[in-house]
Amino acid sequence: MIDMIEKEENIISEEEAAQYDRQIRLWGLDAQKRLRGSRVLLVGLRGLGAEVAKNLILAGVKGLTLLDHEQVTEESRRAQFLIPVDANGQNHAQASLERAQFLNPMVEVKADTDQVESKSDDFFLQFDAVCLTGCSKDLMMHVDQLCASKNIKVFCGDVFGYHGYMFSDLGQEHHYVEEKPKIVKPSEETNDGPEVKKPKIDPNETTMVKRTASFCSLKEALEIDWTSEEVKGRLKRTPSDYFLLQVLLKFRTDKGRNPDPASYAEDSQLLLQIRDDVLEALGVNADLLPDSFVSYCFSEMAPVCAVVGGVLGQEIVKALSQRDAPHRNFFFFDGLKGSGVVDYFCAK
Amino acid sequence: MVQLVGPLSKELADSVSSCKILVVGAGGIGCELLKNLVLTGFKNIEVIDLDTIDVSNLNRQFLFQKKHVGKSKAQVAKESVLRFCPSANITAYHDSIMNPDYNVEFFRSFQLVMNALDNRAARNHVNRMCLAADIPLIESGTAGYLGQVTVIKKGVTECYECQPKPTQKTFPGCTIRNTPSEPIHCIVWAKYLFNQLFGEEDADQEVSPDTADPEAAWNPEDTAARATASDQDGDIKRVSTKDWARSTGYDPVKLFNKLFKDDIMYLLTMDKLWKKRKAPVPLDWAEMLQLGEDPRTRNSRLKDQQVLNVGGYSRLFQHSVETLRSQLADKGDGAELVWDKDDPPAMDFVTAAANLRMHIFSMNMKSRFDVKSMAGNIIPAIATTNAVIAGLIVLEALKVLNSDIQQCRTVREKHIKAPVKSH
Repeated sequence: MIDMIEKEENIISEEEAAQYDRQIRLWGLDAQKRLRGSRVLLVGLRGLGAEVAKNLILAGVKGLTLLDHEQVTEESRRAQFLIPVDANGQNHAQASLERAQFLNPMVEVKADTDQVESKSDDFFLQFDAVCLTGCSKDLMMHVDQLCASKNIKVFCGDVFGYHGYMFSDLGQEHHYVEEKPKIVKPSEETNDGPEVKKPKIDPNETTMVKRTASFCSLKEALEIDWTSEEVKGRLKRTPSDYFLLQVLLKFRTDKGRNPDPASYAEDSQLLLQIRDDVLEALGVNADLLPDSFVSYCFSEMAPVCAVVGGVLGQEIVKALSQRDAPHRNFFFFDGLKGSGVVDYFCAK
Repeated sequence: MVQLVGPLSKELADSVSSCKILVVGAGGIGCELLKNLVLTGFKNIEVIDLDTIDVSNLNRQFLFQKKHVGKSKAQVAKESVLRFCPSANITAYHDSIMNPDYNVEFFRSFQLVMNALDNRAARNHVNRMCLAADIPLIESGTAGYLGQVTVIKKGVTECYECQPKPTQKTFPGCTIRNTPSEPIHCIVWAKYLFNQLFGEEDADQEVSPDTADPEAAWNPEDTAARATASDQDGDIKRVSTKDWARSTGYDPVKLFNKLFKDDIMYLLTMDKLWKKRKAPVPLDWAEMLQLGEDPRTRNSRLKDQQVLNVGGYSRLFQHSVETLRSQLADKGDGAELVWDKDDPPAMDFVTAAANLRMHIFSMNMKSRFDVKSMAGNIIPAIATTNAVIAGLIVLEALKVLNSDIQQCRTVREKHIKAPVKSH
């Protein structure tokens, strides 16, 4: 679908040129045009969703659909800046729509109040990229499998308290370009300066290099056999966030919701239990995730939403514009340590 | 049992909601930072910014909309934040932080100061004020895809000025005046020319050929001789460029022929300069008129990204001189213009003059878009980098507050233990 953009309007208006000036100077006009032709689906409008929505709308995508079936509560709007103060009880997507649209009138922003599980497969195929937040593991794997084969870029992300992650599946063959400085050979006519001819990196001229990257599915990324010998060796270098993610996804599947500060006592007990079960099932030691984790994975930390939402937003921009090397395939952020890690997980 | 208020421990949440903080700057980082702060639970915030909103800010300074262009950043930022957090107590100052009103007492009234600035002078100033007031400062900056955050605490960390920072790059006078080899040299020359003709004349911004160029002399003794000769010569140095231009009535053709033909021919007489370099090729106005429009107008580019041919830049030079001439006349006697990248004729003038010089010195000419980047020192900027950095700033702020809590706890515990020990 992204290749079809070539046929679309080739001209950027004066208004767009003025508004997008500072980003066109960074990623170039071609990238901006590709963004301008892209439609994105964003599922989940809590704190992280609002950040991703803001970043994509400001970047200037063609259209953004906000999909969320849940209603605004004091807890769900804690890290959300698009929802008006008096909107408790309204639908997340609906409540966020007006402020989201104001961010950039040139983007078509829509709200959809359906439950993502109720959407037919066809629904997803109208988009160039899909970003899933607050979704169950099963749904994410299903949508990923469906979309990746159709060259629709798939992204997942969540924030649990101080922790956050994003995952991307850009397909088996994701093509992109990188801008590299041109190395001028001594025998060539140096057009950009009359000085003595010597080989040098010309600071004024760059060249675009074509590259390809391949990604595995979410299923392959999550269902790794940690008991096998080759994988065991990796354990030391593996961020514990990867296992924390597995625990939190299991909680979400079992309870149909995230850990809630209002039920801290029981939820923290359950989290410890799930930690034991999940790590045992994966074949790894329980002390990879010490007990203290429970106090830091409730609700959404606004600054963590900002960091993860920023990285996730930029990854979506890179994938749609097909420019610059994508993160492959997980980014984990630990807000307590202030550390971010990019790592590749794949069962193959 | 840990008590949570959302994601934070109750203790930290209380500390957050009661402390008073200062945010210096309401631009790219500032907007993201204010949003993160109120969503995290900070209640007492003061924000200061001297600038007004421009349309080029709207791709990332999300608290502003098109209808706000021209208004105070600090003021509109406050209003926008209050819309999603009406309980926040925000004071906005449309002012410069370097105003002496913001004295040490002012800084001392805050528990934490966060910079969201874009220039070194203000950063140095805030750094010193925070040291004087002994208040922790969180310093940050972004450019393109890169950014950083640093905590500065007197007595604990080094301050912003502890490490020497690289100074703005400048070029030797003879490179600008005699032997440019890169587009930037020509652009700097064109900006100097603007000032010499229309703005404040500056002895360090000469545009005429530099006869005292040490590279030009075959014998070292010649350099000194040439220097005195040019002073006496009068032709180039004695009459100021502005006076000469005025005497011609700012005639674009006369200006063109002096700058792009006569002065270049003079440079050619300094033959030592051209032994190892490609010699400049002077232009002729009459020849320029013969050249038509470049037939290759490419619609897929932005209008500003098109590169004209030398005829096109000659015509642009003429038009911009005529426009600037009337601007100057309108301002009255003794008036001066100040160069501004967002003033179209000023930008046109630099684009044209720089490109004509680039062509003369055998360099590929640049589009207005590219010249504006270099002449205007434009730093590309996007929303996501600022979002990430502003997130990290708040996480650092929490650590600073947390360590204050830890310190308090430690002091309290010591206090309780001591009487028991003395028995």
